[in-house]
Amino acid sequence: MLALEMVGVTKQYGRRKALSEVSLRLEPGGALGLLGPNGAGKTTALRLLLGFCRPDAGGVQLGGLDPQDPSARAGVGYLPERLAVPGRARVASFLRLHAGLAGLTGACAERAVTDVMTRVGIRERADDPLAGLSKGLRQRVGFAQAFLGEPKLLLLDEPTTGLDPLGVRDAREWISRARERGCTVLVSSHLLSEVERTCDQIAILHEGQLAASGSLDEVVNEGESLEDAFVRWVRP
Amino acid sequence: MSAFGLLTREAVQDAMRRRIVFAIAAVSVLSLMVVDGCTRCSTGEIVVNGQPQQLDQVAGAAGLLTFVTLGMWIILLAGVLAADHLQQSLEDGTASLCLARPLSRASFALSRLAGVLILTGITGAVLLGATGFFLATRGALALAPAALAAGTCALGAVGIAGLSMALSLTLPRLSCILVVFGAVGSVALANGLGLATHSGGGLLAAIDHFGPPLLSAMTLALAPWVPQVQIPGALPAVLARLVIWSLIGPAALVLAFRRVELGR
Repeated sequence: MLALEMVGVTKQYGRRKALSEVSLRLEPGGALGLLGPNGAGKTTALRLLLGFCRPDAGGVQLGGLDPQDPSARAGVGYLPERLAVPGRARVASFLRLHAGLAGLTGACAERAVTDVMTRVGIRERADDPLAGLSKGLRQRVGFAQAFLGEPKLLLLDEPTTGLDPLGVRDAREWISRARERGCTVLVSSHLLSEVERTCDQIAILHEGQLAASGSLDEVVNEGESLEDAFVRWVRP
Repeated sequence: MSAFGLLTREAVQDAMRRRIVFAIAAVSVLSLMVVDGCTRCSTGEIVVNGQPQQLDQVAGAAGLLTFVTLGMWIILLAGVLAADHLQQSLEDGTASLCLARPLSRASFALSRLAGVLILTGITGAVLLGATGFFLATRGALALAPAALAAGTCALGAVGIAGLSMALSLTLPRLSCILVVFGAVGSVALANGLGLATHSGGGLLAAIDHFGPPLLSAMTLALAPWVPQVQIPGALPAVLARLVIWSLIGPAALVLAFRRVELGR
């Protein structure tokens, strides 16, 4: 069974086509980098995969299930581009809530919260209000909530936004570790170097259409960098 | 704790963090002071339509008016709080983050509604409880009608809050609040006219016959306080209609929220 699949998906907002007949598939354990310039439809693809909206045409499946079905989202860790946090909530209480929503209870939830805070380096910030955190720390909290419950599938939307170079390096390591334990990863980004280092599959979206997809070797010609290939596909 | 319980707790905390809570607390304290003052009079003569009346003869009517007014304020409060409690979570993105988890939309929407209703319920319990207590101890009015009226108030609050929250998914916040004020006001007026005249036609009569009987149900529940007045209407039928409306509100919310596209 595929970890995720989009077949001929079209999504329209008013007259604007955000996605047009896009097909994507990702095997369990794989890592797909969803590339594209701003407004290419990357976030719309993630929203469809999470069941936040329905496609106008085509089909979307998450682990073989309709993403509108809550059980399809069990074992999914999601990091949005901008982490939404309740203003006065504190780091640990926010993570406890999400541990509970991920199905963790009691001591298991508490252990998971401590573990993810340690993993992303925010344990000493456990009692800090979320509103007072810097962008980078907030993004670390976002990673922490996405890692809760050791998800089988990670959907990361512009995961390195707001992180400093050390944070970017850490994020890469967290993603690699998740992959090592068999987690499937989809990274939506316009940072080519990040995708190149963390993913083995590439899909390039341009103006809502799938411009290219395949392994790095298939998308990038010999002697060409990913950046060259990206420019070639989106600015033919 | 279940996911619904966690989300409800979060929704209550979210509601408590809002500045409007201070306004609610202030209005509630003021209301209690007024009720306390009004129920303190124990001697003296009251003249109604030129006829001298004993205090215990008017205590029931005054108590009914006070209780119903406070009940309508509680229902209005539920509607106003619900007008942006779900919408806010959609705007700031917390709804999307929660719904990326294995959680149904119905659970999320109903937990937000429950958050509003718990806050409203606490306010209502304090206000109506204290009013009932003052009226029972100082005016010698029975508590059972007050308890029943508080129950009808709770049902009305569920219906109005559910409808208000459903409406907030399509209307801007201010418009939604204005619609809530307009709707609750119209229903109160229609019910009041229906109770006073027990006849008539037109829109207000239609609202009185088919709309949520917010004011009628409370008034009929408190009828034992005014045995000298014949209040038109049958309580069981009115209660049944109120129960239906209290189910329509949350059902409308769940249906409306299923159609919402998240995260845009």
